[in-house]
Amino acid sequence: MRNLKKWIGWTVLLIALVLYPRIFGIYYTNVFVTFAIFALFAVTLNLLLGYTGLLTFGHAMFFGTGGYATAIALERIEGLPIIAAVLIGFLAAIVLALILCPIMVRVSGTAFAMLHLAFGQLMYVLALKLRFITGGEDGVGGFDIPPLGFPGIGSVDISDPLNFYYFAVTVLGLSIWFLWFFTKTPLGSVMVGIRDNANRVNYLGFKVTQTKAVIYTLAGAFAGVAGSVYALFQNLIAADDAYHVWVSFAPIMMTMVGGISSFFGPIAGAAIFGIIEELTSRYTERVELVMGLILISIIMFAPLGFVGFVNFLKQKLIRRSAQ
Amino acid sequence: MNILETKNIYHDYSGLKVLFDVNLEIKTGERHAIIGPNGAGKTTLFNVITGTYRPSEGDVYFQGKEITGFAPNELVRLGMGRSFQITSTFSRLTAFENIRMGILSKRRIRFNILKLLDKMEAVTRETEEVLKRINLDGERDIPASQLSYGKSRSLEISMALATDPDLVMLDEPTAGMSVDETHNAVELIRRLTEGKTMVIIEHDMDVVFSLADRITVLHLGAILTSGTPNEIRENQAVKDAYLGDLEV
Repeated sequence: MRNLKKWIGWTVLLIALVLYPRIFGIYYTNVFVTFAIFALFAVTLNLLLGYTGLLTFGHAMFFGTGGYATAIALERIEGLPIIAAVLIGFLAAIVLALILCPIMVRVSGTAFAMLHLAFGQLMYVLALKLRFITGGEDGVGGFDIPPLGFPGIGSVDISDPLNFYYFAVTVLGLSIWFLWFFTKTPLGSVMVGIRDNANRVNYLGFKVTQTKAVIYTLAGAFAGVAGSVYALFQNLIAADDAYHVWVSFAPIMMTMVGGISSFFGPIAGAAIFGIIEELTSRYTERVELVMGLILISIIMFAPLGFVGFVNFLKQKLIRRSAQ
Repeated sequence: MNILETKNIYHDYSGLKVLFDVNLEIKTGERHAIIGPNGAGKTTLFNVITGTYRPSEGDVYFQGKEITGFAPNELVRLGMGRSFQITSTFSRLTAFENIRMGILSKRRIRFNILKLLDKMEAVTRETEEVLKRINLDGERDIPASQLSYGKSRSLEISMALATDPDLVMLDEPTAGMSVDETHNAVELIRRLTEGKTMVIIEHDMDVVFSLADRITVLHLGAILTSGTPNEIRENQAVKDAYLGDLEV
């Protein structure tokens, strides 16, 4: 019975995702792709923040590196398949994470946050200064987006927005599913243990630093996938979209608004941000003002975020119906 | 044979000397209590043995192997378990999830990312058996932070034992407990450590004399004496330093 419900739920979700662009048109399809990119980005951040208890002010590093790697690869390598381009973004983020993690897994708290801010800004400046690679302020743009080839069947032109939607949602959705799966595995439970009591994890025979390194690399790698899809989506990646400190702050705010204590919180947060931005920008340019007010009220009245608030209401209802 | 030996251990905290030439010998299978006044260095000795600190001087041997400076996770893998004086569980995880962490480690499932944890039925079953054995099966899904003090101490003790160690180091397991709770805790410890070697730090002399086969008295960072409970009871130096005229 429970399995049946689950399958019905998945089927409905799948059909909704397939039909969405046909119903809402190209404009809202693109809004959805933006949301999905930031949903994955925020989920990877929450792997560090919510699950392991590590606040980072430099998560844009991985997003940007994924984006730049994909864009530069497509610009310079003739005939590169699209999947390979995304993989290059993924691998570039992994390499960056592996370079940083010997330092980062040994610190926590403020040091972890500030070191990321520092390295994040370093990447920002490098992206501006290494013009021969990154194109400086102009960034890397206008590269050809190769069709998605299925061997033996044919290929799909994903520079078409509708096809790109299906491509992006598949890549991002699978990534999010993989990360969800990860949180439910034994290593995922060790990750939660580290947040609660790293000393006890050590005294149960788990290697804390190595476990942190795996989580850190995973979070970085999939932030790289988000950045890679972003670069393809915009057909452009520039320092301000990739490495700016706001790019690091956005997923933190999404996670806080959506709910830090749940896997789906950051996704809800990304949706809320997307909707608010969409609505307010119709009336005013001061989108940040509205965002700021909402962030403050969430912190004051619903510190566990949207998902925490919904759970609170649910429990209240259950208690009332029990009486 | 000695399961644990320390040879000429000295330790100081940036100048403050805490341990002097400690030579401790724990025989395989015995229940050994370490007693002594506050500040005698009991917990520091535990920390040096279990890998929290590396001793300033001296060596530690576990099952005949030198382990000086080993990390706690390495010692646990060699068969050592430890509980803490201040409860050190996973406060936001349920009692079940707390114990399950230990079971995972015992089964050497540490870096698995291919299987859902909830679908590992053997792990679930074993965890539930442990919960039953420590009378926490009624509190299965309650977060550790919301357990009563006695129950959370039981959980703390069982965390040290969840990895099925050969040597269990218990740091004041009954600290802060009521008389009833202490009584239950002693029974629990006796039951869970059957067939294992146990080293226990304890202030409650009833607990010490009811559990221990041998006792070591630590005073001002040095071993005053070691012996059977009867020898310790009769020892004049111990009376002067610690027991006083306590009726035991």
